[in-house]
Amino acid sequence: MYAQALVDGVFSGSIYALIALSLTITYQPTRIMNFAQGEAFVLGGAVGFVAIGKMHIPWPLALVIMIVAAAIMGYIMERMVMLPVQLSGSRFAWIIATLAAALIFQAIWTMNFVGDVLSFKPPLDKSYSIAGAVMDFQQIAAIVISLGIIIAYDQFLRRTLLGRAIRATAHNSDTATILGIPTRRIIVGAFMLSTVVVAVAGFLWVPEIGINPASGLAFTIQGFTAAVIGGVGSPRGALLGGLIVGLLASFADAIFGGLSANIGVFLALGLILVLRPAGLFGKPMEGH
Amino acid sequence: MVNKFLLSGWAIRALALVAIAAVVLYPFWAKHSSNPESNLSVLIIAFTSAMLTMSLNICMGYGGLMSLAHTGMLMIGGYASGILFTRYYTINSWYTLPAALVAGVIFSVLIISVSLRATYLYFGIITLAANLVVMEIARNGGDFSGGENGILGISPPYIGDNPISPMTFYYVCLAILVAVYLVQRNTILSGFGRATMSLRESSETASALGVSPSVQRVKIFAISGGIAGLAGGLLAMQSTFISPDVGDLNGGLIFFVGLFLGGIGTLVGPLAGVALIALIDFQIRFSGAYRTLILGGILLLSMMVIPRGIVGTYRASRWGEAKEHDVASEDRDENIITTSEIDPRGEVVLDVRDVKKHFGGIHAVDGVSLAVRAGEIHAIMGPNGSGKSTLVSCLTRYHSLTSGEVGLFGKPLPRTPHGVARAGVSRVFQVPHLFDRVSVIDNVLTGMRIHEKYTWLESTLRLPRYVKETRAERRQARALLALTGLQTKEELSAANISHGQKRLLEIVRAVATRPRILILDEPATGLTQPEMETLHNLIVYLAGHGIAIVLIEHNVDFLLGLADIVTVLEGGRVIAEGKPDEVRNNPVVIEAYLGRTDLIEESA
Repeated sequence: MYAQALVDGVFSGSIYALIALSLTITYQPTRIMNFAQGEAFVLGGAVGFVAIGKMHIPWPLALVIMIVAAAIMGYIMERMVMLPVQLSGSRFAWIIATLAAALIFQAIWTMNFVGDVLSFKPPLDKSYSIAGAVMDFQQIAAIVISLGIIIAYDQFLRRTLLGRAIRATAHNSDTATILGIPTRRIIVGAFMLSTVVVAVAGFLWVPEIGINPASGLAFTIQGFTAAVIGGVGSPRGALLGGLIVGLLASFADAIFGGLSANIGVFLALGLILVLRPAGLFGKPMEGH
Repeated sequence: MVNKFLLSGWAIRALALVAIAAVVLYPFWAKHSSNPESNLSVLIIAFTSAMLTMSLNICMGYGGLMSLAHTGMLMIGGYASGILFTRYYTINSWYTLPAALVAGVIFSVLIISVSLRATYLYFGIITLAANLVVMEIARNGGDFSGGENGILGISPPYIGDNPISPMTFYYVCLAILVAVYLVQRNTILSGFGRATMSLRESSETASALGVSPSVQRVKIFAISGGIAGLAGGLLAMQSTFISPDVGDLNGGLIFFVGLFLGGIGTLVGPLAGVALIALIDFQIRFSGAYRTLILGGILLLSMMVIPRGIVGTYRASRWGEAKEHDVASEDRDENIITTSEIDPRGEVVLDVRDVKKHFGGIHAVDGVSLAVRAGEIHAIMGPNGSGKSTLVSCLTRYHSLTSGEVGLFGKPLPRTPHGVARAGVSRVFQVPHLFDRVSVIDNVLTGMRIHEKYTWLESTLRLPRYVKETRAERRQARALLALTGLQTKEELSAANISHGQKRLLEIVRAVATRPRILILDEPATGLTQPEMETLHNLIVYLAGHGIAIVLIEHNVDFLLGLADIVTVLEGGRVIAEGKPDEVRNNPVVIEAYLGRTDLIEESA
């Protein structure tokens, strides 16, 4: 039983880690935690559901369509969030704007997929039995791909010129502008990249466990929790936080059942923030 | 002519009167409409929305506490009322309203006490998580909470043996709405509200004025939660059921739209915003998911087009803005500097012994001893990085000491920044820390918070002690402002006065705390010559009233012209101490500031 909880926990944890990573990607240049991020997760699932599940398009092509759709969504989201934030001047602008964007996208999903559970048949429908636990091929693929994306982004930040530019923008966007870093383009790019990452996460998740079109916000919150536990701002923290959240939830569910998974995760979040207000591995965040 | 009418403020009053009349007379129209009950119900639900939006306004707009848990508070209030009613179904549902209020208070106090240390972003996330948790609990609560369906069959209250008529219930809810508005208004306009707003600007400044940030946060969040719970109780009675969906953030969007559209951080904003949004919502009530789409769009648009909301935009316009005015110098002769205890001149009030502050390997303050005496102007000078500001931060408990002892009025130094402020030490920061969004006089009144004796309840009910104290405070605040020539600007927003005036205002605010020791960190920076003279006279005047002044300043002429005694720091140590003339000619001091003069002369 616990072996199964371990497998499921690592799988959901790696997905949460991707969501946490995508929140980090937009957080770094903008200092905004995007509540609408989870809606791109639903987008990933929805494209899979329509393209693979209903229209039977081969999955590589569906993946390309999904990535393009997610990038466009990221571009739209950037305008929906950043314009109000820049024009409003209120300290709450970011949270209200991203929440409004989240609810707008959620309304669009629920309108188009009334009563549907978004899911599709995995490309390779196999599973393996290891030490009493059943492990689907989809789960293995998801874990490997998530890990790959996180490592790649971590290396990108450290090794490339653009990565350093992003880190500079994260540190101080005014100074970055003076140094000739195109801040605006970096922000747009960050939004597009982050929605693609989340959409991929959704695409990996739904063949295993279908989702309700209105559940975007719930996934955002899991990602938040992971990001906060790991310390906002670092890909490695996102990975660690994601795994902690995933394992905590799956073990709580295996031991206590039902309601305990969500409550357990949030209690852990509360406890961590009380004991270490900056997150388990993070430095204190300034400006918020 | 029209313009003059608009400028006079009567236009806005007429508009308000029309709106009030419409709300009061509405049931008489609804009675004859085709569907009287549902028409009344629309407005009653709008009333509860307005209450919830005001509750949000109190904690977000004034307290600076981002809350996403307010729909949860609403839901909990409804459940408290519903559970009590269905368990003891003989109970008249009036009596469940206090339970709804208390449930809201308990829930909000739980949230805030868990997250007192959380920074601002995390606080928002914790409130969101708390909201989801209570919804989960309600969904999975079995018979106790009725699961997904919630609790049905909550009846409206009775009067005597008869159920209340919809029309009477309408007026009851309207009366409660008015009461909630008055609570909001009286809370915000009192010292309690000013302390809350000081917290919103920065908890550092709030501490310097003797306000304990944690205590104030808990209190304001509890008040906000109580109002939200009450609104939930009324909502449950009106709709005769309560379900977990009430806690859903989708439904909560309307409160945020109302708040931002009306104007966050204004008293009337929530009412105006909810009124407008209720009208819009009424038009789109059958649109299903489009409703969220439309409301979300309106929210984003209103943030872009009128970032300050309807009321805030009006206030900033030339029709609504506050103006300078003449003040009769009625209170000039009153003794305005009243320290709570006057220390005998020359007595040591602040005794610093061998204080050290190390940041890792950097010895910012490295064994400083000095004694500050009542009625004396004690200047601390030294080059940049000599440890002056760090020393001040140590003495006011913004930094912890690495080692050393500090005696304050013969007792050990209190442990918290607000404790130090309450003991009678007032501090003016190097960078202006004014409350930009409130008026000049409110800034001064905030300084008087420490000495206010009335309680929150007294100020909310406007009891005699509150009225008396407030009258005296305003008189004193005007007199203090007159010392610096700011009395004509008392109603202006503090953001709209010049830099020099801001610095002077900050000193006035510090003096309003009736300090026995006043610490000024570079007060003369950026002042014009006349302002410098005002400052000089003000400092002499204050010292003349027995206040010990600690003055840190870079302008050496200004400083030496004022000081009774000068301590010179370099590298975190005292390198000289004495009367201004002695220090001016001390070769060690000259070297610290200018380098070795003999070398300079040689090279020249």
